[in-house]
Amino acid sequence: MPITSKSFVRTTALMLLVGLLALLGIVGTNVWLVERSQGYFDEVTEARALRRSVIDLRAMLQDIETSQRGYIITLEPAYLEPYENALPRVAGGLERLKAQLAPYPAANEALAELEQNIGFKLREMSETIELARQGRVEEAVAQVRTDRGKAAMDGARAFFETFLSDIDDQLTIGVNNQRGTTNALRWVSIGGGAIILMVVLGAIWTVLRYTQELNQARREVEEANSGLEERVRERTSDLGKANEEIQRFAYIVTHDLRAPLVNIMGFTSEMETSVDTLRTYMEGKPAEDNPAFDEARIAATEDLPEAITFIRAATRKMDGLINAILKISREGRRQLKPDALDLEELVNNSLAAVHHQIADKSGETSTDLRASKLVSDKLSLEQILGNLLDNAIKYQQPDRPLKLTVRSRHLPGNRVLVDVQDNGRGIAETDHERVFELFRRSGAQSQPGEGIGLAHVRTMVRSLGGDITLTSQLGEGTTFHINLPRDVRSYLGKIDR
Amino acid sequence: MNDARPVTIIMIEDDEGHARLIEKNIRRAGVANEIVPFANGTDAIAYLLGPDGTGLVNKGRQLLVLLDLNLPDMTGIDILEKVKGNEHTRRSPVVVLTTTDDQREIQRCYDLGANVYITKPVDYDGFANAIKQLGLFFSVMQIPEAD
Repeated sequence: MPITSKSFVRTTALMLLVGLLALLGIVGTNVWLVERSQGYFDEVTEARALRRSVIDLRAMLQDIETSQRGYIITLEPAYLEPYENALPRVAGGLERLKAQLAPYPAANEALAELEQNIGFKLREMSETIELARQGRVEEAVAQVRTDRGKAAMDGARAFFETFLSDIDDQLTIGVNNQRGTTNALRWVSIGGGAIILMVVLGAIWTVLRYTQELNQARREVEEANSGLEERVRERTSDLGKANEEIQRFAYIVTHDLRAPLVNIMGFTSEMETSVDTLRTYMEGKPAEDNPAFDEARIAATEDLPEAITFIRAATRKMDGLINAILKISREGRRQLKPDALDLEELVNNSLAAVHHQIADKSGETSTDLRASKLVSDKLSLEQILGNLLDNAIKYQQPDRPLKLTVRSRHLPGNRVLVDVQDNGRGIAETDHERVFELFRRSGAQSQPGEGIGLAHVRTMVRSLGGDITLTSQLGEGTTFHINLPRDVRSYLGKIDR
Repeated sequence: MNDARPVTIIMIEDDEGHARLIEKNIRRAGVANEIVPFANGTDAIAYLLGPDGTGLVNKGRQLLVLLDLNLPDMTGIDILEKVKGNEHTRRSPVVVLTTTDDQREIQRCYDLGANVYITKPVDYDGFANAIKQLGLFFSVMQIPEAD
């Protein structure tokens, strides 16, 4: 299916829209997923910080406990060093943990318990260490053996275990979430990328195909163009030949028609002579009382002469028509002689030839010749102008003086337009084309004529490579427009080739 | 025309009506010579050149040929060529009387040796007049005897 420019625009626009939507989807999903990932990441970071705090606190407590036990057993102050170091930091560690757990109210209870256990343990340890320092080791050991300190430490340890396992769970979930988000991001990117890729490929394909078709169409147009010149030349030459053929045909037909007509006219003439003799004889005879004689007398003196008159009129008319066709066909066969002509001189000569006929009825003529130089057949142009001027005089409106204007100007395409305008009786719209046909006449048949003039004019104009048309308003006047090539040789050249 | 040796007018014309009209009008001009009509070229050639085609048959005859160019079996040009190409008939005057007024045709006829070329006038009055004048012309013409 060929891509029309409309469907091309529609398809391309649709694909661009799909691509744009895919891009927007990718960007939107990316932003959302990155946001989510950021959230998960923050959570993980937070959980790690919490974990660290918990482990720190546990390590501190364990250090303190180990240090206390070591000191009680050995009474070596060196064993007390870790205790001394860690003790001041426990409160800080606890505070930090509390601060980190502040957003989680659920942990408050466990935290309070832890604080209590730590506080108890610290007190128990400081008491035992004090006892040991004073040398009351037995008491200190007894104090430890009560297991109250161990119980508190176990409570704290249990808290730490539970808490750490909770945090680890949360870390796992957070990491999983983040992985899921990353995966989703990857798939969205791949999916969106695929859509965009498809759209781009589709667009490229469409553009390529469209371009290809355009190229194809352009090639065809170029081929058609190059063929056209040739074809126009061929056709012109064919037309010229056909025209020649028709004129030849007309010439032969008229010739052949003329031969029997000469017979008809000749023998009619013979018959007329005979009838004259008969009539003279019959008229000289006195009337008889015989019906047959009366009939013969009427036939000889009235019927026969009447019949001959009609035959003569008809043959004369037919003779005129045949002569008209002959004249036109002969005109078409005439060799045109292209000459450089001065249209102004030609028009003025033609006007001068009819001057007295116009001036007699107080008519006037004027010219406006802006194009004057052309190469054409002088005789044809003279006859064309002469015919048109004769018509203007013949068909002028009786109640107003004739106004005749001949104008000329250049037309694009190396042509010249000659207008012959009159203010005569005009031609009805239905007859504008008909008047150029052979034997056709328009309007009141008040003037003698056979309907040859304009047909002849058109034949001559066309054989000069031109055309003639008219514009007319019935009762107002008529303008004939003769469109001629400025150089008839260019037209003749086309026919000869 | 020379009364002692009567001139025969050979009329080669395919249209019988024309032939009759021509004859009538020639007679009206006072020409009383024998007119031998032919409606086609073959018969005319046979008469002019004889059955053997040599033209010897014409020895001692005085002929005037009235020739139409449009014939059913051949063109008048062919006849003209034969008559003017034969040593026995070439001096006989040939009057081409035809409807064609084509300049090239006229030139060709004169080139081939036609003595007179007349275009049949279109209207009958002109036609009758032309034939009558031709008849008058015939009556004062000298026609050589064929060798």
